[in-house]
Amino acid sequence: MALLEVNNLKKYFKEVKAVDGISFKVERGEVFGLLGPNGAGKSTTISMISTLFKPNEGDIKYKNVSIIDNPSAIQQKLGVVPQEIALYPTLSGYENLKFWGHAYGLRGKELSNRIEEVSEIIGIKDRLKDKIEKYSGGMKRRINIGAALLHNPEILIMDEPTVGIDPQSRNHILDTVLELNKKGMTIIYTSHYMEEVEYLCTRVSIMDKGNIIASGTQEELLEIVKGKKKINLRFDKISDNLIDRINSIDYIENVDVHDDEIILTTQNGEDIFKDLIAKSSETENSILSIDIKKPNLEAVFLHLTGRALRD
Amino acid sequence: MRVIDIIIKDLRVLLRDKKTIGIMIIMPIILITILGSALGNVFGGQDNTDKIQIAIVKEYNEVEEAEMFVESLKNNTVFQGIDQENIKDISENLKDFSMEEIIFNEFLKNEEIKEIIEYRVTNLDSAKDLLSNDEISAIVIFPENFAFDMYTNFATPFRNEVSIQILEHPEGYIDNQIVEGIFKGFTDKVSTMVIGKNVFIETMMENGFQLEALNKMDMIMESMSDILDSSSIALKEVNVNKNEPLSGFQYYTIAITSMFILFVAGEGAKLLLEEKDNLTYQRMAIAGTQKSKIVIGKFCTILVFALLQIGIMIAYSAVVLGVEWGNPSLVVLITLCAGFTMSGLGTVLAAVSYRIGNYKMADVFQGFIFIFAIFGGSFMPVDVLPSFIKPLSNFVPNGLTLKLYQKVMLGSGMNDILIYLIVLLAMAVGFTLIAVFILNGEERWKYVKYNNAKTSKIKS
Repeated sequence: MALLEVNNLKKYFKEVKAVDGISFKVERGEVFGLLGPNGAGKSTTISMISTLFKPNEGDIKYKNVSIIDNPSAIQQKLGVVPQEIALYPTLSGYENLKFWGHAYGLRGKELSNRIEEVSEIIGIKDRLKDKIEKYSGGMKRRINIGAALLHNPEILIMDEPTVGIDPQSRNHILDTVLELNKKGMTIIYTSHYMEEVEYLCTRVSIMDKGNIIASGTQEELLEIVKGKKKINLRFDKISDNLIDRINSIDYIENVDVHDDEIILTTQNGEDIFKDLIAKSSETENSILSIDIKKPNLEAVFLHLTGRALRD
Repeated sequence: MRVIDIIIKDLRVLLRDKKTIGIMIIMPIILITILGSALGNVFGGQDNTDKIQIAIVKEYNEVEEAEMFVESLKNNTVFQGIDQENIKDISENLKDFSMEEIIFNEFLKNEEIKEIIEYRVTNLDSAKDLLSNDEISAIVIFPENFAFDMYTNFATPFRNEVSIQILEHPEGYIDNQIVEGIFKGFTDKVSTMVIGKNVFIETMMENGFQLEALNKMDMIMESMSDILDSSSIALKEVNVNKNEPLSGFQYYTIAITSMFILFVAGEGAKLLLEEKDNLTYQRMAIAGTQKSKIVIGKFCTILVFALLQIGIMIAYSAVVLGVEWGNPSLVVLITLCAGFTMSGLGTVLAAVSYRIGNYKMADVFQGFIFIFAIFGGSFMPVDVLPSFIKPLSNFVPNGLTLKLYQKVMLGSGMNDILIYLIVLLAMAVGFTLIAVFILNGEERWKYVKYNNAKTSKIKS
């Protein structure tokens, strides 16, 4: 029996189909990833799992009990790290943790011990007395996570927990996630950063426009683009003429343009350099670099949607 | 989560906001001190050591009018039906009876009146000059024929209407009330006695003792004169009329306190929406905290903050300014009722702000506070406002609160304030019900602000 089971979940905001009939299962002890660009429906999905929204259709079962009709079945077992900092900026880190501990019914010695343990885990023990508004972005993210860990939840949902922070804090958060998982915590991790999902998740569902377009282990997903190459081209500038000429190469499967970068997938690795240089020389654009990458989840997304994840 | 946890957290947040503390606590303290000191003299209370200066203008001539009165009696031109014997007695009695003696030497020079009023007798033009130069607060004009009419009223079975005119300084709000009150008290007393005298005579006549009644006129005049000598009666009337003066500090302490508790309601208006914007509301909901607990928490937070604010005002004014608040239990009761009303009002505003999703409602209300303050008497006493505004003070919570504190300061008991307390509590209940109605129903907020999500490149 899966720990969490999502069946044909739909959520509409007026005319917008934020989530349009998705299904997946989360097994006990795994790090399950929801990967997709901004607006794919990841946050709406976790909002429904968190009992914040009721779906228009479908069901969510926690240990085989529907949480749509019985939200309390999951609320105290769930820790949710929201995408944005949901804390009181004028209160100290300690006061925030204490308040959120109270929210999960912790008090007295038990709460003090948990604050001690959690502040150790998130690496913020020395700054607990400072007000949140004086924290750096990365520290705010960490305490935002800490507030969700106090009651030692069975499932931890992390919604884009590393958005907008420095690499050092990001690495600390990613390591924390793995540590928690090692201790047996089941984690649902949403991100539009492919590298994070690849680093953390055992199984992944890729979402786009309210739908799950692929699911499985990383190996299973990479099978979709087996034998293909992902090539990142950087130019001094990109003109419509250049894009048209690259699109005219018949064995190139997807072309996605990003600022000064073109990302494409192809199965033909032998003629690609020669043809790309030839095509670009027909234009006023100059190639600055060519980067061939082993297929990854981004390539899977590009292959399935024709767009890069960061779109 | 317990409601108390929400209240403690909210109070911590509020008390750490320097702007909130500045507006809620520091500003009213400064205003009470400044206004109480600067405008204290327009009140007739204990701090007002200056006597009220008035000018008295006599447009009558007592000697001439006394002679005219006796002449009229003798000629029977005005007072028909009084025989010569009685006329003779009345004329004799008049020699011992002087209106001026009663008014100036016995009434206005009475010890209690002297503590409040200092008068000078002058002509009308000089008096008007004094008034326009702010040297006096009012002119009291005794009209032509005043002595004649008063003799008629006192010495005969007849009754002539006498009116004393008072010209007031346009800015002497409280002084004017005091002067009006004193002279109204005096004239009321005189009227009562004249009516009593007439009733006595009419009763005697109806029972066939007309002669005896007229023969007793000298005794009646004497006893009326004796009663008028006692100005304490007049002062008692005055107290009822002018509601016992408050000191400037007393008035502005309750006026500013009543006004500034409205700011607590205005601040409370932001509490729910701030939680929503910070996503902490959603986080509490995810943790299983019911909406009702969150709303009750906000209600109680506003209540506690209002009580704290009023408590600080009471403590400051009592200890530093020496303001006497009156019966402590009634003050506590009024404070609780005012706190509940502000909580209800704040929760309504919070509910509306929450539903419409912006802070406009709170901002609009902050603007309305000054209108409420005017209607409620926080800037100047309601008594001096135009008559069409006066009743509105009973419909604004700060006006009712001010009135209640004022009454208790003046020594009123529970019976006198009960109706106002009931109205104030009814407001609290009404506001709370409106808030519940507005907040009832399913949530419509969105959890994540997608468009606001920041992104950055990952550097592996």
